[in-house]
Amino acid sequence: MGDLLKNSIFFSDQQICYADILPPSEVRLRIEVAILSFLKNLSSSTPSVSDLPLISRKRSNSRVSRGLLTENARIFLSDSFSMKSLMNENSANSLIRVWKVMEMCYQILGQEKKVTQRELFYKLLSVSPQYFTSQLQANRSIQDLVALLRCSRYSLGIMATSRGVVAGRLMLQEPNRDVIDCSVCGSSGHAISGDLNLLENLIMKSDARYIIVVEKHAVFQRLAEDRLFNQIPCILITAKGYPDIGTRFLLHRMSREFPQLPILALVDWNPAGLAILCTFKYGSVTMGLEAYRYACNVKWLGLRKDDINQLIPEESLIPLKPRDHQIAKSLETSEILQDTYKEELAAMIQSGCRAEIEALYFNGYDFLGKYIGKKIVQGSYI
Amino acid sequence: MARRHLCYNRFELLKQIRELTRSIVEDICGGRSPILRIDQFSSYCADVSGNCCCSYDLPIRKEILVLQRESQVRRLDLLLRVLLIVQQLLQENKHCSKRDIYYMYPSAFKEQSVVDRAINDICILLHCSRHNLNVVSVGNGLVMGWLRFSEAGRKFDCIGSPNKTYHIPVQVEDVEDIFSLANYILIVEKESVFQRLANDQFCRQNRAIVVTGRGYPDIPTRRFLNLLVGTLHLPVYCLVDCDPYGIDILVTYRFGSMQMAYDSKYLRLPEIRWLGAFPSDSENYQLPQQCLLNLTTEDKKKAEAVLCRCYMEREVPHWRSELQLLLDRGVKFEIEALSAQSITFLSEKYLPSKIERGVHL
Repeated sequence: MGDLLKNSIFFSDQQICYADILPPSEVRLRIEVAILSFLKNLSSSTPSVSDLPLISRKRSNSRVSRGLLTENARIFLSDSFSMKSLMNENSANSLIRVWKVMEMCYQILGQEKKVTQRELFYKLLSVSPQYFTSQLQANRSIQDLVALLRCSRYSLGIMATSRGVVAGRLMLQEPNRDVIDCSVCGSSGHAISGDLNLLENLIMKSDARYIIVVEKHAVFQRLAEDRLFNQIPCILITAKGYPDIGTRFLLHRMSREFPQLPILALVDWNPAGLAILCTFKYGSVTMGLEAYRYACNVKWLGLRKDDINQLIPEESLIPLKPRDHQIAKSLETSEILQDTYKEELAAMIQSGCRAEIEALYFNGYDFLGKYIGKKIVQGSYI
Repeated sequence: MARRHLCYNRFELLKQIRELTRSIVEDICGGRSPILRIDQFSSYCADVSGNCCCSYDLPIRKEILVLQRESQVRRLDLLLRVLLIVQQLLQENKHCSKRDIYYMYPSAFKEQSVVDRAINDICILLHCSRHNLNVVSVGNGLVMGWLRFSEAGRKFDCIGSPNKTYHIPVQVEDVEDIFSLANYILIVEKESVFQRLANDQFCRQNRAIVVTGRGYPDIPTRRFLNLLVGTLHLPVYCLVDCDPYGIDILVTYRFGSMQMAYDSKYLRLPEIRWLGAFPSDSENYQLPQQCLLNLTTEDKKKAEAVLCRCYMEREVPHWRSELQLLLDRGVKFEIEALSAQSITFLSEKYLPSKIERGVHL
């Protein structure tokens, strides 16, 4: 505990380390505190150059919290710090980069604007070309700043694209605006905003019985076009691939607003699909301090190994690629993965194959809806 | 004869499919091989003389499928399988993607490209577009600005809130009641630039419709733009990165893609104007040197490939010389680099001044 107080600028005494969503004025205050504390150390009677204490984003610092009475489990980062020091040759430059990003964000927040990561990179490039050479470097420095100030990227003024769409038996209303009925949104669905404040204040109403998370845009479009939600009362949601913050945030809100609705995931049968499912379910270490906030109790509806054996012909199976094996390895060693998922993963590796959801069309072009209905009725989700 | 659509109605198409099948069956019963003549179209070729078929929307050659040759037997078989699926889709008015169709007979098709070709052949034989066959793809485009329209009963009112973003509908044929107060249409290559304009409330200050295809434009986006231009008769400007891929996207909007060459007449925008970014912009707007990135080997290959296309010299020599200049200088830059000094530079200075002064190619 003493270690923690000594290392943290903000004297947080909680073990879960999280990133707050703060208004611009508060973030600027935190930046000012960081600078003042640095200057204080520099001009004290025993001057010293402070190190930057950043919450460690390595796997070794990620912990799993399991609910005792519920099945929810989530990943969060604990209080282990990694220090960046000007005295240390290796981290000196990266420390300077963090300060540069801090300066840039301070300016941007002062103007009450938001920028994309790419724009931030170009600004940094034009102002301090000697420190920034690649987008990747800039992104890492941004994550460092998040770990230092303990506030989300979004609060720092960095906007992210939102890819998610939602459709089905859901009514959304921004305060003082019209109600949006997601069941008449057409096959493209209703776009999920990237503005987390807006999402937080949405008023939601639904008479659905299930929430179905779909991995791929093509499958989502097919289900929305066929109006699956008129046969099975549900809400369809997709992030069109790897989940972004906006989609996860909305899903999390829906799970709090409608806690009795099971959340079912429809993903391809491959390690990447399982990884996407796990990201929705547990959060991810790469999301750093923002991870824990958006985990929901998602269940795996399909595709699963029984479906592969019974419904999909051999010709539709595709061999696993090296990237799939990489993802599988990293999932295998994860302590958070439940046993049933581990078995499915093992079956994937053993067969050496993967299958896409579209492969179900072998059984007829209207089979997908029937498949989902049957699985829900049988309660066949893990 | 230049390709034109003969019908859109699915009952007409079903009739055509029945007639085609009947004639094939009659041929086989009569002991003859059925003969299918399929025109092949191309958006461009390497002929710089200006007299190639591409320039007149004429087919570059005809392919003739007969049952005497083994390879063509297979191609005919696959075409008929896809036709069977299409017939079912049209009868029940259901939709499918190309991928879904592949998975219906994976052991017969073996590869996605086979299905793609069969679908193209059917479109050519039946004189229609892919969406008429109820074969659809995901929609990726976004639109915002001074526009109002409805699609299948749903209203898209961007005029009430000009910065609200909507997805471009996939069923473009259902779009109706188009109404607009805009003075021009602006197409941007990248989603991030689209977001920048939304964040800066660009449409509040400027009477415009902004569209993005998020990279290479998909079919719904291109059809939607064609529909807007045909209905509203507004000037169209295009904003792409100053690199070979950006220019490739620009010419895709203008001339169409090779994949959809048979349908390009309905998918291209001949009136599109290149607003930026030009290689000369880096000097005119004092871009810092370090924001100019070197062209990679792939960039150079792409630039050379685009320069060779027949339409570049014939139709847009001014675009061609800019691309040549880009290649000669060996550097490229992205639109975001223009915001390096001031975030709102793009929406407050660059775009309005260029449009007002008519600085476009």
